[in-house]
Parts: sequence; C-alpha cells; structure tokens
Amino acid sequence: MNSTELLDQFILEARECLEQIGQRLLEVERAPDDKALLNDLFRQVHTLKGNCGLFDFKPLERVVHAGEDLLDRVRNGTLAYNAGIADALLEAMDYTGELIDLIAKEGNVPAAADTRAQALAAALRQHLSPAGVAAAVAPAAAAAASAASAPVPVPEPEPDWLKALPAAVRQPGRVALRYRPEAECFFKGEDPWHLARQTPGLQHLQAAPQQAWAAPEVFDCYRCNLLLTLVSDAPQAYVEEHFRYVPEQVELHLLQAPPAAAPAAAPAAVVDDAVGELMRGRIVRIWDEQRALLGRPGIAAGTVAATHTTFNHLLACWADTTAASSARRALAGLAPGATPLAGWAVQYHPAAASTGDLPSPSAIVAPLEPRRGSTPAVADEAGAGANGQKVLRVSQDKIDRLMDLIGEMVVAKNALPYLAQRAEDVFNQRELAREIKTQYSVINRIAEDMQHAIMQVRMLPVGTVFQRFGRLVRDISKKLGKDVSLVIEGEDTEADKNVIESLADPLIHILRNSLDHGIELPAVRLAAGKPAQGTLRVAARQEGDRVILDISDDGAGVHTGRVRAKAVERGLIPADRADSLTEHEAVQLVFLPGFSTAEAISDLSGRGVGMDVVRNAVERVNGTVELSSTPGQGTKIRLTLPLSMAVTNVMMIETAGRRFGVPMDLIVETVRVPAEDIHHFKRAQTVVLRGRIVPLRALNELLALDMPPRLNADAEHAVLVVRLGAETIGLLVDDFHGTSDIILKPLEGVLTGITGFAGTALMGDGSVLMILNPKELV
Amino acid sequence: MPIRYLKKHAALEGQVSADDAEALGQWLRDQNAPVVHLGKCDQVHSAVLQVLMALRPRVSAPPADPWLAEALNAAAA
Amino acid sequence: MTAHILVVDDAATVRMYHRKMLGDAGWQIEEAINGVEALEKVANQPKDKPFDLYVVDINMPKMDGYTFVRELRRLGHVPQAPVLMVSTEAQTHDATAAQDAGANCYLIKPARPAELVLTAALMLGDAAASVKAADMHLRNGGRA
Repeated sequence: MNSTELLDQFILEARECLEQIGQRLLEVERAPDDKALLNDLFRQVHTLKGNCGLFDFKPLERVVHAGEDLLDRVRNGTLAYNAGIADALLEAMDYTGELIDLIAKEGNVPAAADTRAQALAAALRQHLSPAGVAAAVAPAAAAAASAASAPVPVPEPEPDWLKALPAAVRQPGRVALRYRPEAECFFKGEDPWHLARQTPGLQHLQAAPQQAWAAPEVFDCYRCNLLLTLVSDAPQAYVEEHFRYVPEQVELHLLQAPPAAAPAAAPAAVVDDAVGELMRGRIVRIWDEQRALLGRPGIAAGTVAATHTTFNHLLACWADTTAASSARRALAGLAPGATPLAGWAVQYHPAAASTGDLPSPSAIVAPLEPRRGSTPAVADEAGAGANGQKVLRVSQDKIDRLMDLIGEMVVAKNALPYLAQRAEDVFNQRELAREIKTQYSVINRIAEDMQHAIMQVRMLPVGTVFQRFGRLVRDISKKLGKDVSLVIEGEDTEADKNVIESLADPLIHILRNSLDHGIELPAVRLAAGKPAQGTLRVAARQEGDRVILDISDDGAGVHTGRVRAKAVERGLIPADRADSLTEHEAVQLVFLPGFSTAEAISDLSGRGVGMDVVRNAVERVNGTVELSSTPGQGTKIRLTLPLSMAVTNVMMIETAGRRFGVPMDLIVETVRVPAEDIHHFKRAQTVVLRGRIVPLRALNELLALDMPPRLNADAEHAVLVVRLGAETIGLLVDDFHGTSDIILKPLEGVLTGITGFAGTALMGDGSVLMILNPKELV
Repeated sequence: MPIRYLKKHAALEGQVSADDAEALGQWLRDQNAPVVHLGKCDQVHSAVLQVLMALRPRVSAPPADPWLAEALNAAAA
Repeated sequence: MTAHILVVDDAATVRMYHRKMLGDAGWQIEEAINGVEALEKVANQPKDKPFDLYVVDINMPKMDGYTFVRELRRLGHVPQAPVLMVSTEAQTHDATAAQDAGANCYLIKPARPAELVLTAALMLGDAAASVKAADMHLRNGGRA
C-alpha cells in the first residue's frame, strides 16, 4: 500500500472515529454513569490516538492523547464527568476534525497548529489535576485505579524559596515556579526573562542573581546568572506547556494543601470490561459442557477425574476470587463419582453467582453443540449499522479487488485434489496425498466461506438506486406538464451490488415510460374520474432467495390496440397473428426488439426506451420481467431478481470461428504443441506432456464442425488440457482467450436435451456464449 | 537605535536586544554616576536586564512594564 | 510450572499449526501422529511431568481420536487430564460422540488462533494466558 492510500485510509477512519466520538460524547452527557458508553468512547479515542501516532502528526496526537488520558480516568470512575470536561472534549475533537480536514487537503499538519493543540491539550489535562479528583473518588475505586497519567506534583515539603514568597501572592490553586536557566542559554537563543515575563496568568515575578554579581570589570553580561521566581494563576498544565523547552531548568509547585497522598497503588491489572465479559461467557460455556458430559450414560472414571480437573482450572480463571475459593473448597471435599460432581457443578455455577438463575438441567443434558472456532454466521453483518455495530465505509473498487482475489483463490485451490491424486498415483505418496486432501478440505471450506462472505459484503440496499428517482420524476413530470407523486417502499431491501447496478438504467427507462405514456395529463385524469395527481409506486421486498421489485402506476395502462398496430407496422408480427393475441399477450408485444421508436430516444441513455433493453438487462443478471396492465387503471411491472449471484469462471476459447466457454475448474492447463510433436496412431492422436501421454481430440470434430483445427504462426496447435473424471484429455482448439466471470444459465425449454453444453451466459455486449460440457462431448 | 547615549544618561527605548547589552555595560562602567531613562522602554533581553541589575545605574524614569520595574527596584535595594 | 500439552494429529501441517499457536502462549508441546503413538507417549511420561491437556484430532490412521480418548480414560495409573477434541466434522452427533469417548471440549478446525488458545488456557487454568487470548480474540474481530 503506498503512502497516499495509507493516508486516505487514515483520514477515512479518523473521520469515522470522530463521528462516533462526537455522538458518544453527547450520549455520555445524558448518561454519564453508563460504563459501556464510556468504555466505547475511550476505545474510539484510543484507536484514533494510535492511528495519529502512526503518522507522526504531533499536534494531533497531543490533543487526542490528552483526551484519552482524561477518558481513561473517567471510565475508571476516578474522575467525575461534568460539563467542563464535556466542553473541553468537544472542543478538542472539533479541532481534531479541523486538523484532519487540513491533512486531507495538504497532506500534513501546518506548524501553526501546534499552539492551539498545546492549549487544548493543556485545557484537557487541567481536569486531571488533583482538585478534580478529590470530588469524585470512592476509596475503593481510588485504590484500584491505575497510576494517574497527569503530572501530579510530588507532595514534598515546601521549599524555602516558596515560603519566601509574599503571602498575598500565595493563593491555593496557583502555580509557583522557579526558573534557573543555565549559564550558556543565551547562546542557544533563549531569553529567560522574556519567557518568564510571558508566562500565562502571571501574578508575581521576581528576578535575582543565582550567585552574587561579578565585579563590574569582569562582569560578563552574556553569561546567564538570573534566578527567576514566579507565581501564576493559570492552570498548571498551561504553565508547564509554556516552559516545555526547559523542563530541567524549572521547578514547579502547586500552591495548596498537599494533595491527598498518591494512591499507594496496588496496581491491580485493570482488565478491560469486554475481555472480562468474553471470558465469563466462555467459562460458563465450558462449565455447561462439562455438566452435559457428566450426564452422558456410561461415563468412565477417568473422564470424571478429568472433568474434576477442568472445573478446578475454570475456577482458577474466574474473576470473582471469593466465590471461586469457596467453590474450590467444596470441590476438594467432594465424594468421588459423576453424581456428586454434577451436583456441585449446579450449586456453584458461575452464572448463578452473578445472576441468580441457572440454565435448566434438561437443556444442559441435551447433546453438546459443537462450537465453531470461526466467525459466526455472516448474516449478522448485513445492515448491522443500525445496531450500533461499527460500520466501515469502504470504496467499492476495494471490494471488487477482494472479490477478484477470492475468485482467483477459488480457482487456484482446485489444483490441490489433482495434485493429491498425482502424489498418490505417480509418486506413490499415499500419506502425502491424504494430507493434501485433508488440507484441501480445510482450504476449500474457507474459500467457500470467503466467497459467501464477499457476496454478502456486496449486498447493497436497493434504496441506493431509488435515491435518484425523486429528482427524476419531478423533473420529467414537470417537463411533461404532469402531476406525479412518487411513492417508494422497501428501500432497505438488499441485493447484490451487480444486480443493483444493472438495474439503474432499466428502472429509469421504466419510470420514464410510465411518465411518458402511462400517467395522463391532469385534465385527462380528472375527466376520467381520477385524481389529478398520478401515483408512481416503486416497492421492493425480499421473498426467499429473490428480490421482487414492483413498479406500478395508476395511469392509462397499455393500449393494446395501439400496440398491436405498431407491432404490425414495424413488421414484428403478421397482422392476423396480432389480432388473434389475447389482451395479456398483446401487452407483451412491447418486449419485442425494435418495438420502441427512434423518436423516443431517451436523453438518458441515447438508446431507445425499449422494454426489450430492460428485459435484456434484467435477464443478464438472471432475473425476470413481467408486465401486466389494466386499461384505464394502470400498469404494473414486476422485476424478480436473485438475491446474490452465482458466478462461474470460464475460459474463452475459439474454434472454427466460434467462441465457447469452458469452466475453469475443469481445465488443467493450456499449452501450445508443435504439430510435429503429435503422435498419430491409426485414428488416434496423442502428445506427451510432462512425461504423460495425453490423448487429443479436435473440438471441431466433437462439435461436428467441419473444419480442421487451426495452427498458429509457429505451426503449433492450441491444446486445452481438461480433466474429466479420472481421465485427462487435450482438446485441440484454434486459440485461447481470456477468462471471464459469468453467470451460467442452464439450457431451458427445447434446449434441455442437448448434450455437450453446460449452459449459456449472456455477455456484456449482448451476445450469448455457449458453455461447453466437455465430458458430454467426448 | 534602542539606546541613545546622551550626555547625562542613556535612554533605552522600544525593544532592547542582546546586541546592545555589551555596549550598555561598557557605557555604564565608563560613567561616574550612570543614569538610565527607561520611560519609553518596552522590552529588554535578559542580558540587558543582567547589565542593569549588576551595574545598578540610577533609574531616572521607570519602564512601563511593572515586572521590569519591580525587578530593577529589587536589584537597587 | 509450564503446562504440558500433547497434540495428536496425523497431519504434519496441523500439528505444526497447533504447536505454533499453543507454544506461543508459553506452553510446552509434544506431538503424536496417531492414537497408538499418543498412548505410548502417555505411558512413557515421567510421573512428575504428566500431560496437562490433550488436543486430539478425530480422523487418524491406526487408531482414531475417539478410540484414543476411550483408551486414555481407562488408564488407571496415569493422572487424567482434560481433552480438547479438534475436528473438521461439524455435526452435533460428532460432538456427542466425543463426549461419550470422554472429551471435555470440542472445537471445529480450522480454529481461530485466539479461540483455540483461549479454550486451552481456560482448560489449563492459566488465568494470565486466558486474559491475553481473550484480548487478542476481541482485537482480531472475534465476538463473545
């Protein structure tokens, strides 16, 4: 990944984080005690900080880090959330957003940003000072808290210089500072007097010599001998920021009663809540599995012993140590055998300890549900944004790339069973063959899961297409002088991305048709007793493994008389045939290619708004179109589409001037063989490839195409080596072309009986590609 | 020029930088009873402050900056 | 005292995979390629260093996983330890068969590293390792 991509990703994620954080901050204000919210907020800020750190955007990190430290204390309960903290955080996050925008524009953070960042960071850290802590803390929480991250001044006895300050100046909350610059500091460009003079919130400033001034004759004005003492009522953090370049020359004290002794930290490992929850869940699950085990008939003594040990070990991981030790004690004193152990397991069940209720025994004795080690059903992911799960925005070409890679892997893995077979047959490696097969089944399952998963990722709500309709309807109806209301239902219904994309144009065509021909002018409608405003309804719903899209209008319906006439006029059907059609059949005439007139060229696509175009597009994605109409009342078009698409990868080959597709998972290799290398024996042809004899058949012959296979410029044949069951055969073709992902449509109707073909696929240019079934051909 | 050397006194005006510290120190040493006028003085570099604190000239007009005035007062005391 | 785990699987790749994941968690790993070899290893373990956990595959030549666990459970003179059965089979009856043989837990392979280590850690009573594994599981997108 190059650095621009990385930066783009960072910006994308950072914006997502900030959005979440902003929302959470508002939610937390309303529910400041909600631990889950606070933890989530902390995690978001923590992630943001981590990301900022990767890029060395110091001002950004400074601000976010301060926020993180603050939030860490809040979620630990050692700091009470209040309006001041909320404001500081919101302001800091707003500024962070500004910086991100700057980074997006310039690729970097401007140097000037540091000042503001410092100030915001200081403002945040101010809340960490002990004055804030004292208010909120319960003793137990304080003991458990991790060491405060703010620089709490060491509570030493007050130094003399501090005591020497005028009493009026020594007010609690103020910061006293002694600055002893080093002798050579002028040559470093420092100006200590100026620095001290500029301290924020300066209330008192004293200058004295560090040592007595030298005699005038030997006095060196460029050797710094100043000792500066000052008091400021600015927040300590501000003062620290001010002197950040000379921290070792500065001694700082907070003026007030010595702060509460730093919690004699028993730094208990503060286990993240989510981790604790996960562990509790797992422990309970394994606990219940043991209970089920104990209920199995004919359990061996050894198994009981092992289960006893398992319980002991689970208790060792159980967070509630008091409950665990009493359970342990009881366990140690148990009589041997499955029954006492089972009874104990019920009595000391960890879930009961916290919730007081227990899974019923009957449920437990039921057979153990095997736990999948892998991800739970992908169905969870679809549209999970609404549940508050984290949602990532990803650009579509990344998804497409992922899909390509998965497709490639799906094909690549297919080599493994073949290799296994070779290992066994050719190299006599039975063991190896078995291992390869085992590994293949693992990889195969993962690959299928991945393919399924990426298909799920590609699911988009149909609403993404419906979005543009409102504007479209408004503009066109205005242009035509009609009054139309667009009603959209079910825009959350999801379908595969390809399907949705291929629907965009057809849907627009259909809508335009409705607006042009379907819905009448207001005057006409009123005359017909209809409301002046027409309704165009687009409804989507899911039914089983299909998505149904209904587009209906309450217009004039299809005028079958006109349709029949037009079809005859265009020479699409003979006149007598046109007359004999039923009403419903007549309506279907609009699907005939060439039906739409040149004059009705859509300004959207430049092509005719023919229903044949619509039907093609829909069928290309394996869907169907149905049209029904009631004269005077309206028209309904129903699109039925697959939920996700089964894609087959085929290689295109050419022979006798025709193209065919061959499923990739049958293909072993493609190779060019010099004509002279082909052995002829009677009518059979063979070639030796990599030490194997491969029989050859000319595809033209198999397809009863009366042409010999063509040689290329180097007098070579193109041979497609395919694996059919246990045999390998080389097919002589004219040429290979690339591979392609297609949606295989099985042969239907009168074509079902034909052998040699697996089906057809509609290509992007509208042509039909026949997909071969070599097994049936040979 | 931030420092005007007049017959009876040196007038420090505006912002007096480190470069002027040496010359001021020399002038003060050469005078019998050096006097400085700081009425129009806005800012001094630490080195200049050191000169004023170490050589302790009489201040005929205090600077506007109270902290500087205070520091010089304390030094003179 | 470091825990001692015996990994029983006929596939070298799988053994290597389990060894890496469990070894990285800080435990000592030994391997056996089938049930027979596993029983031999159990018999030859010094009294003071028994196995603390068995991670057992089901489909193995010579002696499959179920048989191994059954035999193991019949051994009177070795301290019994929890058994974690790992298999590609995902049917409920396979898990029940595992229980009947005497296995304590059942995972389907390929198991996510964090999931495997977490389960093993809990079965071993290694609190520290279980916390680390749980944390890693969550960070790698796993769910409770």
